[in-house]
Amino acid sequence: MNRALLRISLACLAMFVLLLLNVNYLQVFRATALAAEPGNIRVFDQQFTYQRGAIVAAGDRNAVTIAESRLIKGTDIYQRYYPQGKVYAPVTGYDTIYSQTGIEAAENGLLAGTSPQLAVHNLTALLTGKQKQGATVELTISPAAQQAAYDALASDGGRPAAAVAINPSTGAILALASYPTFNPNQLATFNGVQLNKVDGQLLNDPSQPLLNRAISQTYPPGSTFKIVTSSAAFSTGLIASTSTPVSAPPVWTLPNGHTLTNYDSELCGNGNPPIIQAFWMSCNTAFGKIGMKLTAPVLRQWATRFWLNKPLDIPLPVAQSVYPRGPGWTDPSLTAYSAIGQYNDAVTPLQEAMLAATIANHGTLMRPYLVQQVVGPGLSVISSTQKTVLSHVDTPKVAGQIQAMMYQVTHNPTGTAYGSAGPQVTGGITIDGKTGTSQNGANPNGLDDAVFTCFVPGSGGQPSPIAVGVVVKEGGFGASAAAPIAVKIIQAYLKAHP
Amino acid sequence: MSFTASSEQSVPLPHGRRGTELLMLAFALAVVLFAYSAAGLGLTGKLPGLPVDFLVFAAVMLAAHLAVRRFAPYADPLLLPLAVLLNGLGLVMIYRLVQSGRGGNPGYQVAGLPPTAATSQLLYSGVGVVAMVAVLVLISEPRVLQRYTYTLGALGLLLLALPAMLPASHSVVNGAKVWIIFGGFSVEPGEFARLALAVFFAGYLVAKRDALALAGSRVAGIDLPRARDLGPVLAAWAASLLILIFETDIGTSALFFGMFVVMLYIATQRTSWLLIGVTLFLGGSYLTALMFHHVMERFTVWLHPFMGSNPTGIAYQPVQALEGMAFGGLFGTGLGAGQPYHTPLVQSDFIFAAFGEELGLVGVMALLLVFGLLVQRGLRAALAAKDPFSKLLVGGLSFVLALQVFVIVGGVTGLIPLTGITTPFLSQGGSSLVASWILIGVLIRVSNTARKPAPQPIQDEGMTQVVRAA
Repeated sequence: MNRALLRISLACLAMFVLLLLNVNYLQVFRATALAAEPGNIRVFDQQFTYQRGAIVAAGDRNAVTIAESRLIKGTDIYQRYYPQGKVYAPVTGYDTIYSQTGIEAAENGLLAGTSPQLAVHNLTALLTGKQKQGATVELTISPAAQQAAYDALASDGGRPAAAVAINPSTGAILALASYPTFNPNQLATFNGVQLNKVDGQLLNDPSQPLLNRAISQTYPPGSTFKIVTSSAAFSTGLIASTSTPVSAPPVWTLPNGHTLTNYDSELCGNGNPPIIQAFWMSCNTAFGKIGMKLTAPVLRQWATRFWLNKPLDIPLPVAQSVYPRGPGWTDPSLTAYSAIGQYNDAVTPLQEAMLAATIANHGTLMRPYLVQQVVGPGLSVISSTQKTVLSHVDTPKVAGQIQAMMYQVTHNPTGTAYGSAGPQVTGGITIDGKTGTSQNGANPNGLDDAVFTCFVPGSGGQPSPIAVGVVVKEGGFGASAAAPIAVKIIQAYLKAHP
Repeated sequence: MSFTASSEQSVPLPHGRRGTELLMLAFALAVVLFAYSAAGLGLTGKLPGLPVDFLVFAAVMLAAHLAVRRFAPYADPLLLPLAVLLNGLGLVMIYRLVQSGRGGNPGYQVAGLPPTAATSQLLYSGVGVVAMVAVLVLISEPRVLQRYTYTLGALGLLLLALPAMLPASHSVVNGAKVWIIFGGFSVEPGEFARLALAVFFAGYLVAKRDALALAGSRVAGIDLPRARDLGPVLAAWAASLLILIFETDIGTSALFFGMFVVMLYIATQRTSWLLIGVTLFLGGSYLTALMFHHVMERFTVWLHPFMGSNPTGIAYQPVQALEGMAFGGLFGTGLGAGQPYHTPLVQSDFIFAAFGEELGLVGVMALLLVFGLLVQRGLRAALAAKDPFSKLLVGGLSFVLALQVFVIVGGVTGLIPLTGITTPFLSQGGSSLVASWILIGVLIRVSNTARKPAPQPIQDEGMTQVVRAA
């Protein structure tokens, strides 16, 4: 019998070995996948039992906390709170019990403390008996600029609008505002029924408050695209200098029979003005002709240098700005339209700010970013963002030529933004800009989208401090609707950064 | 030989290693005391007060040790401490589950677990130890049991069949018709039937093994038994299928049939019996899966726990267990600090998942090794036993203990389809615990007989030998 007993012993051993292997598989190798299963109660409960990291707008000397987790009195549960609510909603996004958007989503692992980068901190906390805690995310956002941007958009008659401000020499995003927006505190509830109700209301709201217009929506760039057209014209040698005369008739018949006109079909100088004058007066026919001579592939090449047609995340995902290649896109007439930002080019307000930032930074586009650094629970820096070049767009010489033209837009009495962003309204601040008024096919009010892109040039050896892009949906003439918003943001930012 | 024995020197008796047992028992009790304190600390953040429960438990187990010292002095010194460790940890877990959601503790109350459950379980532990001591006292030699082969066989079958014959109100708990319920007192007779039938199988097979071992035709290198000898195995198979059908209890059926087939194999050493047994079992399972929805459902839950609405529907319980164990990870949340209360019936079938969540991989590996060690000590006793009846009985019982752990732990951890049986010593409930202690009693008795030294010849100065009877 002993032989059979020994074999049975081996069978028992095999059963225990199988069990041991299986618990190892279950509790170590399969643990991550099981933790990620939707509806895992334990993981779900756990996220509220320790403090999620704060989000701080650290672009000014006085940093402002814009999202934090607070202990609910009498419990051991933390609830998300957004002290500034709507002002920072396009940046923070929201953190509901089920999902996140904005920085809450992009930096979720670090905020929640589950990121592998925090493994050492978590282990230390475990061993020292301290409570696990998420990391603090410090943003490049300037509270002064962001507040000014939100206030300016909100007091502009409630039209959908967005504004983005960038530090041209680093790419740091100083303000990122969208209107209408939402209050993320409404979504930070533990009541699932209440959450579904609020979520439904926001989703069905015709004003689309959840849409982040600054980075998730594209608009026709209108005449601001003349920056791109000019870049191509100067760089390819088609136009030698800012004083080179260009043909600018009030009305021009395109090869396809349609006509292209200047604003109000007005005369552009003497009909043959230097390009700088065509630029400050924003003459459509002059840049239409330049675009046609450049041809579509060359225009598109420069658009791509400005980062149209390319993916971007800041780390929030940014909708792609486009100069598309549709059927017949090289048609000369359509190219003339594209050259003045009218055919089917489309850009985000962030891209608008990037146009001005490129010129402000002498032709070099820096990668835009929102997160300056992430600080662990022990105040140690876990990661910090270094400025990087995104694209070498223009030579400093070409950038200087375009800057000179943008200067005239706001400083020449016949410039399109002289009255709205000129020195007499900015309180002595020099702003170089370009207006845009883009016709929007399906527009019930008959009003065009107003666009403005501008920057404060560097002076005294200092780099340019700020570039701003503003889009006001159905705002009408770009100079009157969009430019004042940009001026307010710049004034607020420079006041906080003298 | 130049050996000369001195008349002053008596030959030393091989010692029974009771000191080792006491030391290991103290160690097991220390582990249980730490676990009890850790559970209190995890639940309330402070150490529990005077551990009266623990002191009672320790006193009972020390009494058990004294009984073993008196009635089975040569028994394997590890059997009792291993059982005490498992029993104690099970008590701690039930104490911890009872506290959940009560007295301001986190979580919510576990359904079917009254506030008195921990005290009841302690009481059952005492009853179990008394039963074990009774086995030691009443059965002075394993051979005594052999006399009751057919009596115990009939008793076992009766116990097994009783729930099936009773009306549902007196036999069904949580969908399993395996209980006898009278006046608020419930017993799961299958736990005891298994022991009685083990004795029956051992007695029967010892008597008939020569006939059963006779070879019939030889197919593919395997000697098949004669067709007329298939009778007993077919009868056991039919009985296990009947349990499955009438008591909706796959686990008990598998244990019962598995025990019989393995004992048949040990008795005859014919591999063909194993093959026939496994084939019959798999065939029977397949047929019942086709015939019965609840059996099929077990397979669905096993293969696709996370598919569709399964996690919130039919697979809710196993999914909670899996997620709980995964949440525990390597080291666990610590006793009292996890959320085992999410798993329905965590106190009985799923108690292993609670250990996995709170003690982690490290804890459950230790538990599995303790079970493995217990099985190994049992099989050692079977190998060392001198009479075939003891070998068969203890071999079969040790195997069925391993099989029971495999079936329930494998089911809870998703290795095999889940079948609702108790985890020996750990699950809440008196029947399983008392039966487990009776099993320990039998193992101790057989190991005592196996390890007892042969009668010592006492060398006298003269030519005569005086044999001292043990």
